[in-house]
Amino acid sequence: MKIDRRSFLALGVGVVAGNALSPVPAILTDDIAIWTQNWPWVPVPEIGGSAYADTTCQLCPGGCGISVRKVEERGVKIEGKKDHPVNNGGICALGLSGLQLLYGPTRVKTPLKRAGKRGEGKWIKISWDQAISEVAGKLNDLRSQEKAHTVAGISGSSSGTMTEIFRRFLTAYGSANFFHTPSIQDTYRLVFEFMHGKKADPGFDIENADFILSFGSSLLEGWGPPVRMLKASKKWKDTATKIIQIEPRLSRTALKAERWIPVTPGTEAVLALSLCHVIIKEGLYNKDFLANSTFGFEDYKAKNGEIKKGFKQLVMDDYSPEAASKITGLDPAAIILLAREFAKASAPLAIFGKGQGILPGSLSEAMAIHALNALCGSINRKGGIFALDVLENKELSEVALDGIAEAGLKQHKLVETPHNSSGCLNQAFSAILKGNSVNALLVLEANPLYTLSDSKSVKDAFDRIPFIASFSSFMDETAQYADMILPNHIYLERIEDVPLSMGFPKTVIGLSKPVFKPQYSTKHAGDTILLISKELGGSIADSFPWKNYEACLQHVLSDKMDVLKKKGFWTATDSFPDFKNAFRTASAKFEFQTDSLSSDLVNVKIEGDETYPLVLIPYETIRLSTGYIANPPFLTKAVEDTILKGKDSFIEINPKTAQASGFSEADMVLLQTPKGQARVRVHLEEGIMPGIIALPRGLGHTAYDNYIADKGINVNQLIGPVNDPVSGLDTAWGIRAKLSKA
Amino acid sequence: MSKSDDKAQTVSEKAVEVSSSTRQSSSSDEGSGGIVVLFFFIGLAISLIFGWMIFPKLLYSQKKQPINFSHSLHNKLVSNGCESCHFFRDDGSYSGVPKLAQCVGCHEEVQGDSPDEIEFVEKYVQKGIEVPWLVYARQPDCVFFSHAAHVKTAKLDCKTCHGYIGESESLKTYYQNRITGYSRDIWGENIAGIKKNTWDRMKMDDCAECHQKLKTSFGSVQTQKEGCFVCHK
Amino acid sequence: MKQEQGHSKAKKFGMVIDLDLCTGCGSCMVACMAENNVPFKEDETDKLKSITWMRIFKFSNGKTYPETDVCYLPRPCQHCEGHGGHSPCVSVCPATATDYDAHTGIVSQIYTRCFGCRYCMGSCPYKARYFNWFDPVWPDGMEQYLSPDVSPRMRGVVEKCSFCYHRYQIAKDKAHYEGQTEIEEDAYQTACAQACPVKAITFGDLNNHSHAVSKLKNQPNAFRLLERLGTNTKVYYVSGREWVRRAGDNYLKAEWPKKTS
Repeated sequence: MKIDRRSFLALGVGVVAGNALSPVPAILTDDIAIWTQNWPWVPVPEIGGSAYADTTCQLCPGGCGISVRKVEERGVKIEGKKDHPVNNGGICALGLSGLQLLYGPTRVKTPLKRAGKRGEGKWIKISWDQAISEVAGKLNDLRSQEKAHTVAGISGSSSGTMTEIFRRFLTAYGSANFFHTPSIQDTYRLVFEFMHGKKADPGFDIENADFILSFGSSLLEGWGPPVRMLKASKKWKDTATKIIQIEPRLSRTALKAERWIPVTPGTEAVLALSLCHVIIKEGLYNKDFLANSTFGFEDYKAKNGEIKKGFKQLVMDDYSPEAASKITGLDPAAIILLAREFAKASAPLAIFGKGQGILPGSLSEAMAIHALNALCGSINRKGGIFALDVLENKELSEVALDGIAEAGLKQHKLVETPHNSSGCLNQAFSAILKGNSVNALLVLEANPLYTLSDSKSVKDAFDRIPFIASFSSFMDETAQYADMILPNHIYLERIEDVPLSMGFPKTVIGLSKPVFKPQYSTKHAGDTILLISKELGGSIADSFPWKNYEACLQHVLSDKMDVLKKKGFWTATDSFPDFKNAFRTASAKFEFQTDSLSSDLVNVKIEGDETYPLVLIPYETIRLSTGYIANPPFLTKAVEDTILKGKDSFIEINPKTAQASGFSEADMVLLQTPKGQARVRVHLEEGIMPGIIALPRGLGHTAYDNYIADKGINVNQLIGPVNDPVSGLDTAWGIRAKLSKA
Repeated sequence: MSKSDDKAQTVSEKAVEVSSSTRQSSSSDEGSGGIVVLFFFIGLAISLIFGWMIFPKLLYSQKKQPINFSHSLHNKLVSNGCESCHFFRDDGSYSGVPKLAQCVGCHEEVQGDSPDEIEFVEKYVQKGIEVPWLVYARQPDCVFFSHAAHVKTAKLDCKTCHGYIGESESLKTYYQNRITGYSRDIWGENIAGIKKNTWDRMKMDDCAECHQKLKTSFGSVQTQKEGCFVCHK
Repeated sequence: MKQEQGHSKAKKFGMVIDLDLCTGCGSCMVACMAENNVPFKEDETDKLKSITWMRIFKFSNGKTYPETDVCYLPRPCQHCEGHGGHSPCVSVCPATATDYDAHTGIVSQIYTRCFGCRYCMGSCPYKARYFNWFDPVWPDGMEQYLSPDVSPRMRGVVEKCSFCYHRYQIAKDKAHYEGQTEIEEDAYQTACAQACPVKAITFGDLNNHSHAVSKLKNQPNAFRLLERLGTNTKVYYVSGREWVRRAGDNYLKAEWPKKTS
């Protein structure tokens, strides 16, 4: 008996043989194969019953109806709501990405108080009680020092109950310094104030017009309710509606237009008036409308007895196609042809405004273009432009004011203009830089630090404000630079009325309903304001008698609430604005405001001199969110690599212009403007006028999450505001620029 | 997989027969030859014992259901059989294991005096917490299984796949595969993968077996079998 | 029990995309990402590594300012039938991870079966297949929006458009429950077709004469991409612009204008 090497070999062979006869190899092979498909870090979505919950999107002012697909309590998809008057089942790429905002890393999850230096990103989590009492304490101190008027508020929207409550709070507190993020709506309201004599919002009957002349509006890039416009583009094709796009860049709108007419930017008003010239000269205007419903077409006697030049004479004298040709760069024959086509169409419509309408733009230009509509009678009629009465909140009682509030409201406002100044946000910050003091700033769903032009100056102004509180749901640039954040629920978690802000030919209010329970320790900004006012007490608390914001909303929308809750939206019953009461001017007619159309006003100035040979214009693409909401990851993923590559923005430039300076595709160049400079890459694009370079809006964020921060250039750093001489609103559509090798 | 395992089983049985005959003949051998054979069998025995007895115990962890549940008791009380609790939703999807909301209808108050019942009401119903049931028949995430197709259209009985669970008095221990994380019911109780009943295993081959038998036309161009997306997502 | 597809006619799901309607807005791309649990990374600007089952390509007529014209072209998987279901990718897959289903005409991709050799990517003439070079990572909490209808993929496998096959499964589930044998046209629509604001994408059964696609594909302006390869795709494009139709393949001088067969 000897145990030798062979014995152990036999043992081994036995083990191997036994193993082969056992289930181990088969099971291990199978299980390990399965294991390799089941990495623990690849999530397995939980199953469950699915259902849809409807609400209204608030990611842009479009107000589309959305249906959120939920699996148990989780939201898994956002889809367009069928049979909604605005979008009827369609949805844009931003709206589709909404759940990434709900669950995303950019949410502010609890009230925060700044710990480090401003903008450093160091925060202490605080309780809601502490946050509210600290803000109320700060505001109370200012009030007791009779500095109520040095508190300012900025709202991202200019309409809706939430904005109204915010404004009401400031009034009750004693400050008239309420501002909102400006838009083209502000300019259009002034157009209607001047020419129609009433407070109205524009509605465009795009679907029924048969000839649309767009003076640079990005109709298919997020203008108006974006989905409604995209849907309209299908209808245009079906009905052979002619779209003429006047713009220096071949945008998506220009692509879908029947004709793209590139003109020198800033000369759109001159072109509009020269079209008027041809229409009048050839007698193509709507004689009935002009004779019965307008004032100031012919020369007229002013109040002081002076004979004033009428619209007809003005355009006949100053805006001949030949004269306009020199300014716009367009052939006189092309102007004459365009004018004839426009006037002979059965439902022509001219649309003012550049891009999505983020820029308020020049009032004179708006009036020149609106005059073109008036000449053809395209006002308040099918296929034309409607002046829709602004819905007034009649339900809110007078604000209760105590002595301090009354005194505060009598103080000088930050911005004094003859008209409603709340859209002149740029001027508010320049006023602060000029030495006007603001001791506290409250920001509601606005991001002025990113969205306003000349962002550096805005930041400098911020540095002079001792206390900034933001109600933002997200860590945006402004929230990041604030001293305290009192995070709002996001739109999918809260109740809110969403009035359609612009462009839709009918007054529509959508209702945003809480589809999800609040994901984090956030509070409806309406409730936060109510709690702050309770804490301040006295007449301020008296101005807010409701137990919570929902009760307030119920009170304000009383008669509409049932419909809103049932259908999700409320629409005005009348299909067209009442023509009889259309004009409430002194003459009770449409008034041509010839004073505003002189040549020194209609040419919109641009900053910079000849040392800058090029002109930089910002442009908007529907794949980049431009406002308070930054791009969610999905939307950024859809951005072309000719707009953003790595961390570099691309400028669009005509190959001829690029060749002249020796630049080729993807070259890194230094872009300089009088306001700043940035390193960008070159993208050669035949679809842009020589001499013009274009940079998209929506990039260059410094806040939010890693999926959008520090990517590309914020074009607002490179452009300064140019205030309209009449309205005071920002009209800066571009700036002079130069490129050099970097 | 099952077919190969079946073969493995038959092969192993033959092997045992063969080896026992060799043992008889080798017992007469002298010296190291006998030791070698002995060692071979020791080795063989070790891995057979390991493979057939220890390995299955190591492979699966045992988990107890959070509370006990008697299917047979409930089955007597409901009118519509299994579908009373395991019903189809209006969209044709299958609800699977009931949610707390369905139980609350009867169990808002403690029924009877079983400790499990008391625990259920106090720990879950009153606090509104879902019971974290361990689902024996849960398929991997990549599988799409339509109960409607099988139960409504093909008129299969629940037993065909789930066996007599509806008559059970208590919930059996949940065995979880430590490598894959799946329930043991997928591979089947028998470690060799032998199945006597249709409900003994729930692997892909078991699905395919039935589909292959009962269907006449197959979509897959590569395999001439059922198309992949019929059961995968 | 021998039933179901045995006697119903084989379906052939396909798409017709009107390029003159498409505005390139990107809704289809994002709808697809949201529907199909498509992952995303911090930097998605390297489009070779960016997974987009539906991708919009942009190309121009090559003319200079101001005659230049641009076309946006949404490109999902073309679900090639080839000859008898031997589409380019299916033919080369060594793992039977991708397959052609003769019942639906859909090219399937089973992620758990794929071992990532990427032969299929090389063979796909439309670049419609994407490789998971990285593990999918959803920021903390964001995995909550993942749909249970589509299983998330892991690193090392290829993925592509499935014509939202899970929606067909869900629609069939409902039909089974209600005792129906056929599915209505609108009961199974892809996420991209559903989201498209201009309805440029029409989806349906090319074999079913009551479905819109069966007529739309026969328009004189309809064409398919790289038709001459014999891929026999199920995604048709329509454009009234000749240069767009011509860009659908690398035609030689003698081959254009196309002879209608």
